[in-house]
Order: sequence, then C-alpha cells, then structure tokens
Amino acid sequence: MIAFRHLSLTLGDFALRDVSITINRGDYYFIIGPSGAGKTVILEAIAGLHFPEKGEVLINGLNTTMVPPEKRRISLVYQDYSLFPHMVVEKNIGFGMKMQKRPRDEIDRRVDELLMQFGISHLRNRYPGTLSGGEQQRVAIARALASDPDILLLDEPFAALDPIAREQIIADLLRIHREGHLTIVQVTHAREEILRMATRCAVIIDGVRMQEGSVDSVFEAPESTAVARFIGMENILSGVVGAVTSSLASIDIAGVSVIAVSNVSPGRSVEIAFRAADVTLHVSDDQTSSAQNRFNATITAVIPLGGPLTQVHLNAGFPIIALVTSRSAEDLDLSPGMDVVAAIKASAIRVIENKLNT
Amino acid sequence: MAQIPVLRDRCLISFSLLGGLILSLTVLALLNMTIRELSDIPHLLQVAADSKVIDSIILTMAAGANAIVILVVLGIPLAYVLARTDFRGKRFVETIVDIPLMLPHTVAGILVYILFMKRGLIGGPLYDIGFSFEDAYPGIVVAMLFVSSPYFINSAREGFEKVPVHLENVARTLGATRFSAFLHVVLPLSARYIYNGAIFSWGRAIGEFAAIIMIAYYPMVISTLLYYRFTTGGLKESSTIAFIMIVACFAVFLVLRYLSRFIGRHDDRV
Repeated sequence: MIAFRHLSLTLGDFALRDVSITINRGDYYFIIGPSGAGKTVILEAIAGLHFPEKGEVLINGLNTTMVPPEKRRISLVYQDYSLFPHMVVEKNIGFGMKMQKRPRDEIDRRVDELLMQFGISHLRNRYPGTLSGGEQQRVAIARALASDPDILLLDEPFAALDPIAREQIIADLLRIHREGHLTIVQVTHAREEILRMATRCAVIIDGVRMQEGSVDSVFEAPESTAVARFIGMENILSGVVGAVTSSLASIDIAGVSVIAVSNVSPGRSVEIAFRAADVTLHVSDDQTSSAQNRFNATITAVIPLGGPLTQVHLNAGFPIIALVTSRSAEDLDLSPGMDVVAAIKASAIRVIENKLNT
Repeated sequence: MAQIPVLRDRCLISFSLLGGLILSLTVLALLNMTIRELSDIPHLLQVAADSKVIDSIILTMAAGANAIVILVVLGIPLAYVLARTDFRGKRFVETIVDIPLMLPHTVAGILVYILFMKRGLIGGPLYDIGFSFEDAYPGIVVAMLFVSSPYFINSAREGFEKVPVHLENVARTLGATRFSAFLHVVLPLSARYIYNGAIFSWGRAIGEFAAIIMIAYYPMVISTLLYYRFTTGGLKESSTIAFIMIVACFAVFLVLRYLSRFIGRHDDRV
C-alpha cells in the first residue's frame, strides 16, 4: 500500500497542494487529470525523486518520505521511455539487476525470460535508437519489471503509440497486473484507458486532488464541476434547489424546473451535471419516455463528430448538449431551428453541492 | 551525412569564401614558416635533435597532461553539481569558474604566484615540508591548471546537461544510487564532451606562457625556451623550435581528434 498524507511540493511554477491518496496492494490505480496537472510529478514523488516540503509518503505502513528511490522497489516508466541510448536492449533490461549486484547467470536468465514474454527476443542486440515506439515501450516495461518491483509506475504509456501497438501493450499490462499481482499506478488524461483498465483512481487538477475512489464512484458521482467536466459530463448548469420530496429534488435552472435524484436541502445553490449521451431527443412529446424531465427545446446547432455520433446543441431556456447517433440525426432530420423534446432521467442528473456557494 | 552540392548553394559558397579567409591566414603563416625551415634541413635536424628542445616539449606536454588529470578528477564533480542543481549563489560560482578565462595571463600568473610562492598561503606550508612550486614542475602544473580549468569545467557541464534527467531518474528507480547512475549512465553519455573539454584545456595549458614564467621560469616549458632563444639566439634558432613544436602539436591533436570519433558515440534518437 502507498499512501500520501497531505503532501505538498513545489517545483518551479508547479505545485502539489495538500494531496492525500491511498493506493492499495494489487490496485490498477489511475491518476487522472488534464495535461499539465502535475501527474508526472506525483509519480516522481512516489518513486522518491522529489522530497516533499510537507506531508509524508507511507509504503506498506512505513514512513518512506526520505528513503531514496533506489531503496523503494518502485519502477518508473516515462512517457518518452527513457531507454539508455548507449546500451543494447538486453543491457537495458538487465541494468536494474546489475545495479542490485545479482549474479550474472540470474540476470541472463531473467532477461531471456522477459525478452520472450514481450516477444522482443530478436531485438536483444539492438540499440534503442533503432527501435519503433512500440518496441521501445516494451523494452522500457521489461526493464522496469526485471528488477522485480513492488510497484510499477507508468507515465502516459500509450500517448505516443499507434492503435495496434497500444492494444498489445494494454493486453500485456492487464496480463502483468493479473498474473503478477503487481500494483500499477498509471497517469493519463485519456478517459477510455481509465474505464477499461483502472480499479481505482484519483483526479488531480491544478496540483489539487479533487476526488479519489473506485472508477465507478468517480465517473458516476463527481463531487465537483471540475471533475464532472473532466470525466466528460458535457452539461453543467447552475441552479437553486426548490422542493425535495422522497429523494427527488426540483432544481430551478433559469426558471425551468429540473428533477434530479438527490437529498440536497432546499434553498441551496447547486450545480447539476449530466452526460450528453443521457439526453434523448423526441420530435413530438408522445409520452412514451419514462424520463421525469421533458423539456421543449429548439435546436441551435447540429455538429457531426466525424464518427457514428452527432452532437446536438439545444436551447430549453438553458443550453443542453445531446448526443445522438448520426443515423437517427438523419432519420429525424434534425436541423437548427427545429423544435424537439429533450428527455433526461432524474437518475442521470448529478447534483453537485457547491461548497463555496453555501 | 548527405553530400550537399556546395557549388549550387550561393549561401554556402559565400560562407566558404569568408571562412576560407581565416583559414588561409593560418595556412599562409604555416606554409611561410615550413618553407623557410625546410630550406635548411641540416639546421632543422640539428635543432630537432637538441636534447633541451626535446626535453622541453616533453615537459610541456606532460605538465599539461598532469594538469588535465587533476582537472578531470576535481572538475567533473563540480561540473556535475553545476549541471544538476540550482542553489542560491550559483551565478556567483559560475563566474568564479570563468574568471581565469577573462583575466590577462600575467594577472593569472600573479594570482598563482602569490598563492604558491615560498611565502604564499599554500606554497608556504608546503615549502616548509620540502615541496616547492617556485621554479619547479609543480609550479608549471598549477599555473596550467588555473588557466585551463574553465574550458574543461564548462565543457563537462554542458555534456552533463545534455543527458536527460529522466535517464538518471529511471536508473535510480531501478536500484542505482546517484553515484552508480552517474557512473553508468551520465558519464558514458557525456564522454564526448568530457574528452573534447580535456583536449581543449590541454591545448590551452600547453600554450600558456605568461602565467608559467611568473612562478616557474625553470624548468623551461617550450614557450619559455622559445622566448629565451629568441632574445639570446635570434630569429633563426627560435623559429626552428617553433616549427618543431607546431609539427608535434599538429600530430598529437590530429590523433586526438581522430580518436574522439570512437568516444561516447551512441544513437541519440532516443
């Protein structure tokens, strides 16, 4: 288990402020946030490459705040792979064991094993400069695993890979995580990776930990608008809570009443967030939808996303963004100026109590 | 490297012509002397066989090499600290490193002399235990060390700065101490800069005159010998010594330049 307790750290223009996170043994833990949010610095701090100004780092319950990186059994793989350019692949992979002064034959055996495991035996005598991005990535991960770490840190491992190489690496990492019972901490700004791979995650924005928990809890129940925006809730609106009856709150948004599942207290200023994908559009109000929220709206823009989906911008007294399949946009002949009914289930709307506005 | 068709590129042609001017000045000076010297081969051979001249050239190169060895041992750690850390007063330290570069050589000579003379701050106590810098080999080495140090330290530092700090970080997470990471990753990757820095500073050390004669007129380094013969024996004798020194330096530096092709070569596309 790795735990950060109220960690603060300043590096040039960048600062981590009072960050607390807990990573359990065997987690595939994601640290997520926009680019430039300091995710790499957190990995480096876990690895022991930066000493915090305040707070402490606990590994397996022991205070390791001042333990140097070489004594932590934590391997780090950077986004640029950082292979040693003056060593061939097998020397790169064997480097950690050599530093740990393991016997020569043990090193050779382990390197052979990893070369096989990652399907890169044919590259063993090549220099990193002659390898493709995907190959370098494999060597970098093999090198990180060779010294048998307790924790593997990955900095945006898929950012520079083509789709095929990416799929292979994802499969490899999931296998390593499953079979090796390894704790993996990965940073990313890509949402798909998190939903696919993570067991738990933390959202870091501007050096502050906004939210931590299971992937479901973060993606279904963002606690702040910043997190809601980051996890892809396109619709974020401000309003005031009216009546609340049996866990259904009526929230006044620009004079329109929106029903959401929540036990928030009446009279409070809140923000609501929902995904564009949770908005369904109907050409006429035929009452077949069971959604509690049905708004008469006018289409203001229809934006094809270049794939199977089309984004529709609406005005219902307040702006709504909806996502429909390009096929149904065509079937319904959606176009700006058209009047439609936008339906949203009360359970799809997340109410965020804005602590600053209380 | 791809061959550029120079003759079709006007910019390259004009640059080559301008660059040729400075080269031709050196070539002219060298040719002029070579022709003069080769016109009297018996005299050339006689001077070349003069044990004083040979000893002096060997002394100069050896003292220079000696200074560089000390410089490598002391300069590499300093260069690494300057490359990898940021601290209050760093600009001040950097300026101190560069001072020998800016000072007139006689000023450098005075500085070294006052510190290492028999009554000097360092020279005094060492003289008491029988170690003299004045008119002695250590005096030559210490003067050379002083004037050539910036070339080496700055070059090594540049080399260290070119090594991505990520490589060092990775090495450490893999179990290398900072020193091991330095030894196995940083040093090999900056070997070329260190080597070139050592050659430059060696060249600078060999060429020193003013700072050396102030503390050690004897034993005579080649510059001192040349100046002595120039003032006592005239142009003919001194120019022949100069010619021999030029040939020796040219040969040595040609070999060193050639060897540098094999040092610290790696594919830096990564």
